[in-house]
Amino acid sequence: MWDSLREMFAMIELELRRLKHDRTEMYTRAVQPILWLAVYGTVMGHIRAIPTDGIPYLDYITPGVLLQSTIFVSVFYGLTIVWERETGILKKLLVAPASRYATVIGRSIASGVRAIVQAFIIIPVAMLLGVRFMLNPFYFFAAFFILFFVSGGFAAISIFVASVMKTRERFMGIGQALIMPLFFASNALYPIKLMPPILQYFAIFNPLTYAIDAVRGLVITGDLTNLLPDVAAVAIFDIMMFTVASISFRKIIE
Amino acid sequence: MMLAIEVRQLVKIYAGRVKALDGVDFTVNAGDIFALLGPNGSGKTTLMRILTTQFKPTSGEAYIFGFDVVKNDSDVRKNIGYVPQEMSVWTDISGFENLLIYAKIYGIPSKYRKDIIWDALESMGLDAIANNLVKTYSGGMIRRLEIACAMIIKPRLMFLDEPTIGLDPSARRIVWERLTSFRKEYGTTIFFNTHYMDEADHYSDEIAIMDKGKMVKFGTSSELKHSIRREVIQFKLRNQGVDEIVLKTIRSMDFVSDVAIHDLELKVIVEDAETALPIIMDILRTEGITVEKISTARPTLDDVFLKYAGTMHLPNSTSSEIMSGKDSL
Repeated sequence: MWDSLREMFAMIELELRRLKHDRTEMYTRAVQPILWLAVYGTVMGHIRAIPTDGIPYLDYITPGVLLQSTIFVSVFYGLTIVWERETGILKKLLVAPASRYATVIGRSIASGVRAIVQAFIIIPVAMLLGVRFMLNPFYFFAAFFILFFVSGGFAAISIFVASVMKTRERFMGIGQALIMPLFFASNALYPIKLMPPILQYFAIFNPLTYAIDAVRGLVITGDLTNLLPDVAAVAIFDIMMFTVASISFRKIIE
Repeated sequence: MMLAIEVRQLVKIYAGRVKALDGVDFTVNAGDIFALLGPNGSGKTTLMRILTTQFKPTSGEAYIFGFDVVKNDSDVRKNIGYVPQEMSVWTDISGFENLLIYAKIYGIPSKYRKDIIWDALESMGLDAIANNLVKTYSGGMIRRLEIACAMIIKPRLMFLDEPTIGLDPSARRIVWERLTSFRKEYGTTIFFNTHYMDEADHYSDEIAIMDKGKMVKFGTSSELKHSIRREVIQFKLRNQGVDEIVLKTIRSMDFVSDVAIHDLELKVIVEDAETALPIIMDILRTEGITVEKISTARPTLDDVFLKYAGTMHLPNSTSSEIMSGKDSL
């Protein structure tokens, strides 16, 4: 147990150290979400075509854009695992005292580190664009916590995908095909009730919907009535994904 | 004597079809350096990956210091260090940071951590570049860093999967010097796979040869060389070749396994050169052939490898030499 916890913390530290040496990826990855806010958000905000319960449109989409950039980071994190499989790193981690589930979960959670650093770039930009955040440090802390854990779940999906698609090229394709549908079929850009019924159905099973709802409540509206079910949904999603990833991880090894 | 590794009837079948290990049996004494030789695809890496608990065997048993690799896998992992064949360090952080992350994964207490890491870096000759990013290291430095990673936990048994593949001769020598001095200091057992026969020859206490998922031969380097009973006597002839009749006479002796002539060089392959030499000399003298120089070559580990695990290129090449010898006659 201690061995496993230690390994998870070491994995988080590894990500921080990697970021310390090279932050280019953080900046380039921030370009897309900033475009969503600065271009799409401002334009659509002027039209006022989407009913957002009185919240300015830019404020409405900020949590969604934040989470989209988070899952971008974590879904492509599986690529690191594919790369580490081609090198000997994964083999060496398997021979460490921690259980192999610690390797899977530790690597997944470590992707949350990148997600949070990403948020630290996007939030100031959103502020400059005039988004008004709830200035409650506890709410912010809780929002980061959700960001961190939902990112772990998506990284676990990507480990699962990596175990099926054993090459980088295949993985790139699947990664792209996964993120955008999840983003569009969620409450990131518009309320679910505006969607056609089939899409609504999909959005209800989309973990991103719950994560966005929770973060929006915490940092934009301050409405926490749905927080508990949202967090429960994210927790269920994480547990399911960690389990699937841990099981499929065997395939990566052999 | 305590056994570091004990393997009984180990079988591994991949995806229900490919038989990578086909009933492997062997033991390794604690404190030994043990070399495992074998052609590509003979099952060396599979064997090492089972012994390091990366996956389970299909059947059979394996013990590391008495711990079962399947049932007590976490005890096994606490006692072993492992350097895989492929690169196994993170290149986007420094050498020191790599060791720091591994030290944390292995739970080395924080008060000893730095000392242990610097010790390992110094003993691998990496202290001067410890804070540089690993992507700036040469292949030899990366290998040494990987070995340093395995050293920090002072394992009782170290597994090295082709530790010097792709390194230049001086880098190889440095790696082995550090490994042997590490073993001297801590009594670590070392188990390694290699394709470099000279490494097995120089550095190992015992050698095993594997072929098609089975262990085909064990022994010390000199035992193995002796076992193939194949020494080469080379005669440099003064000014005339040897005709087919003389070749036939020599070949008909029961201790001779092959004869070849190439220009003025006569090669005779025998079981034991010391007893064969006078007899062959007699034959040559009766035929009036003058010998200018004689040399004998004992078998190398390469010959041993080819005999037990090779596809036997040797007899073919000798007979083709004979053919070309005939042409020149």
